[in-house]
Amino acid sequence: MRHNRLLAASLAAGLALLAGCSAASPDGAQDGSTTLTYLTFETPSLTASFWDTSIANAQKQVQGVTIKKLVAPSTDRDSYAKQLQASGQFPDLLQSITPSTFVQAGLLKPYDQTWVDANFLLPKGNAYKGNVYIPPTNSQIIPMVFYNKTLFAKAGISAPPKTWADFMADCAKLKTAGITPLELGGGDPFAASMPLTGILSADVLGKQPNWLQDRYANKVKFTDANIKTAVAKYRALAKNGYFEDGALGVKYADSITNFTSGKAAMYMMGSWFLGSVPKDHAADFGAFMTPTDDGSLVVPFAVGGSMAISAKTAAPDKATAFAEAWSLDPANYKVLIEGDGAFPMLKGKTLDDYHVDVTQVFKDSYAYVQNQNTKVSAFGWATNDDAMPSGLNNAYYAASQALYNSDDIAGEMAKLDAAWDKATK
Amino acid sequence: MTFRVRRHRGDTALGTLAVLALGLYALFIIVPVIMSAWKSLTNENPLLAQASFVGTANYTDMIHDDALAASLAFTLVMAGAVTIAANAAGIGFALLLNRTSLSFRMMRTVAFLPQVLSGVIVGFVWRYILAQDGILNQLLVAAGIIDAPITWLGSPRLAMFSVGLVAAWVLTGFTTVVHLAALQSVPVEMYQAAMVDGAGPWQRFRRITLPMVAPGTTISVTISLITMLKLYDIIAALTSGGPADATQSTALYIVRLAFTDDRFGYASAVAMLLLVVSAAIALSVTSLLRRREVDL
Amino acid sequence: MTAPASTLRRRTGEPITPARHRGRRPWAARGHLAAVALLTLAFVSPIYLTIVNAFKTQDQIIRNPSAPPAPPTVHNIGDALARTDKIIQIGLTNSAVTVVASLLLVIPLGAAFSFWLTRKPARLRRIILAVFAAGLMIPPAVVLLPTIRILTFLHLDHTYAGLILSNVGGGYLSFAVFVYSGFLRSVPREIVEAAAMDGAGMLRIWWTIVMPLLRPATATVAIFLSLWIWNDFMNPQFILGPLHGQTITTGLYLSLGQYSTNYAQLFGVMFLAAVIPVAGYLAVQQQFIAGLTTGATK
Repeated sequence: MRHNRLLAASLAAGLALLAGCSAASPDGAQDGSTTLTYLTFETPSLTASFWDTSIANAQKQVQGVTIKKLVAPSTDRDSYAKQLQASGQFPDLLQSITPSTFVQAGLLKPYDQTWVDANFLLPKGNAYKGNVYIPPTNSQIIPMVFYNKTLFAKAGISAPPKTWADFMADCAKLKTAGITPLELGGGDPFAASMPLTGILSADVLGKQPNWLQDRYANKVKFTDANIKTAVAKYRALAKNGYFEDGALGVKYADSITNFTSGKAAMYMMGSWFLGSVPKDHAADFGAFMTPTDDGSLVVPFAVGGSMAISAKTAAPDKATAFAEAWSLDPANYKVLIEGDGAFPMLKGKTLDDYHVDVTQVFKDSYAYVQNQNTKVSAFGWATNDDAMPSGLNNAYYAASQALYNSDDIAGEMAKLDAAWDKATK
Repeated sequence: MTFRVRRHRGDTALGTLAVLALGLYALFIIVPVIMSAWKSLTNENPLLAQASFVGTANYTDMIHDDALAASLAFTLVMAGAVTIAANAAGIGFALLLNRTSLSFRMMRTVAFLPQVLSGVIVGFVWRYILAQDGILNQLLVAAGIIDAPITWLGSPRLAMFSVGLVAAWVLTGFTTVVHLAALQSVPVEMYQAAMVDGAGPWQRFRRITLPMVAPGTTISVTISLITMLKLYDIIAALTSGGPADATQSTALYIVRLAFTDDRFGYASAVAMLLLVVSAAIALSVTSLLRRREVDL
Repeated sequence: MTAPASTLRRRTGEPITPARHRGRRPWAARGHLAAVALLTLAFVSPIYLTIVNAFKTQDQIIRNPSAPPAPPTVHNIGDALARTDKIIQIGLTNSAVTVVASLLLVIPLGAAFSFWLTRKPARLRRIILAVFAAGLMIPPAVVLLPTIRILTFLHLDHTYAGLILSNVGGGYLSFAVFVYSGFLRSVPREIVEAAAMDGAGMLRIWWTIVMPLLRPATATVAIFLSLWIWNDFMNPQFILGPLHGQTITTGLYLSLGQYSTNYAQLFGVMFLAAVIPVAGYLAVQQQFIAGLTTGATK
């Protein structure tokens, strides 16, 4: 009998653990408050402590809300948001996702347009089908070409290139001088696609700003000659050995340190890299736009910077209140400007109002945003009506990685067309 | 068991436990397989409200899916190559370690360690080792074997090789210990008799060692194959399936289809394909090896 | 699987390889030992790297990754434990809870089921075992999505209870059933019959007579399942998800992505995550290898 009791006890213990299972969790809801889940992601500049601090600050302004932070395993938060949605745990708040897919599935709740109009410079900057799902708190240029002035001088280059031919000539000069022309963090798919994004934005969107919407309407294709010509430019960079050796094995975080420590002369990356420019020798760094054939200026531009609100949240008012508080918190702007190179888009403020300490290259880059020039929706990054369909970003990144080694431009572009058709069917 | 005993209250209790076990197994293995089979005939997508029956459309779609073909080819080649490599290495390592002194027993203990670590840790450690400026490249350059660092994880072909290398490393820990156990059950008298008959080392290996460890080889090869056909965690940590999806195993592809591309129906069809392929390979290889055990 | 422990005993018996047999001088044996030791060291060098670098500063790691930690630092370990998300503490707790609860259910269920099976006709037994073999073979990715659906239906999605239940009902149960069924073949039928004649019920016979005889099998099942459940990645990643904290494996995966260049932090976290399974393995390695041995020579 004693043994029977032992058996019963062990089964009971198992079941008790199973049922009651008060497994450890970083934080639980405090009494009487609503717990909202908030999907974030971490980068070398948007660290865990930034998110914790900014969440704590906004939480203070909203009564009775406890935020539970979720962190995406990579910067690809769209995929992770979908993974959570597919497994039935869609968060209440989602930082910097691409709204289009989620809006089509009725998963996101738009912001009140009067609140958006009242606070932001480009209230419709990232509207999708007329509604704003992510407050346009700041803007980015994706990508810019950052360059190391010391290394340029060493190779005998006096000024940044204006045309694509200049650019190629400078790459050749750098390589001859024994300097790696271009840094590439190709180990992370999004970073691998940056040069191609720059070239496509400059060459294709510069002439056909509505290319993506035309693609939706099936008026253009990836296999069109102008796209293939642009891709061939990227292919030429890889083929000529202008990227660092083994670039597809370099992780994004490493590519930043490689470039800032002078291992390569140029780095095509989103303007958030401005936050990683080393303060002690910031004067070494400059930035220009991906050059076009005729030297005309094209600025690939994207607006966004805050969080989307789930349409399924149990507490829409509190979620909105938290999101609005976070979106307007001056402390966040300071961190985002200094650390993540964000260009602030709040109405009626100048850079001085944020009390930030920024580098000259940041100020020069910010001028591209403030000046009148040809701005196009950054290819694959804009979250407005020019956003790519769901899943296309990943296919596009994979194509960029494949074209690093493969000459099959037509084949890769055909795959993208097929993926697009499948995604929009 | 033909004898009869009185029915007893405890019999029902044991039966209840057994039925509970059977029920749980049905709920988490059998029902999911049936559900997958059913879903594979629909276009279910968590972003769409309604799923509809599409017949065999998902299966015909697979024919034109280059990504599927690539991932299946990668998975199968990996399974074959790594199974052969890990088992050959395991037999060799086991022969070297087949001594009874304390130091050899300690080495046997240590040789199994790669199996003890989670695939995530294994993936991260090797990512560090195989990085462009990683320790492997440093050693090879210092030894003068190569002039410039090799991009182990950066080019599609080398990344495939690296995944295979790491998987083989992990599995060799297992195959070594299994073969060592099998070797130690070989009666020493058999070798003595063979030596009296004048058999050389190779003949002894071929005529005694291989047949005697054959049951161990069967297990070791089967488990290696099953492990490789499921492989997910090591790849997720080492390459995430890149570059350019070159190291995307079929398991990774299913997860991506289901949880990133939201194509539940199609993901289920690919899952059914992987199920059939895995079962066919595991069953045929096991029966083949079992038959060879007798022949050897 | 007749005599589980007999092969172990051989180790202390006669020298068993021809190489040791005759005509070899001690120096040859010593040379063999040195060569094999070098090979073994090279084989486990990745593990060596994890250990030594956990106790080195970032500077030391970059300067010489393979050097021993001189002087050693416990900074990385401290940093890993002081993380605000407490990934180590929470992960270890959650993994331990999951492993213990899963084992407490799988072992009695698997053993009882296997014993119950021995009392069924041989043909039925073969069919059921074949069905259970599928559980070992089916890649988890195949059943993942439906499993989440089933758990959602039971309102157990993204809970530890759900994760544990799916562990208990999945391939791990197959493993337990196979090990127990193998061992049960060596349990003499007469023992069970005699007890039944004395009027003992089957539950009592199973628990008081059969289970003690199956102790080596229980050890094998407990050891292997602890390791597999502890190291499991896909199920915690999708079935559990991030809402209720991480297990050590998913926590590691989510947090290490950010440390691509901070090697000191990377190795500190990995060391803490690996130390428990490795220590556990070293503590019970005799039984561990006995478990594999019975499998290999059955």
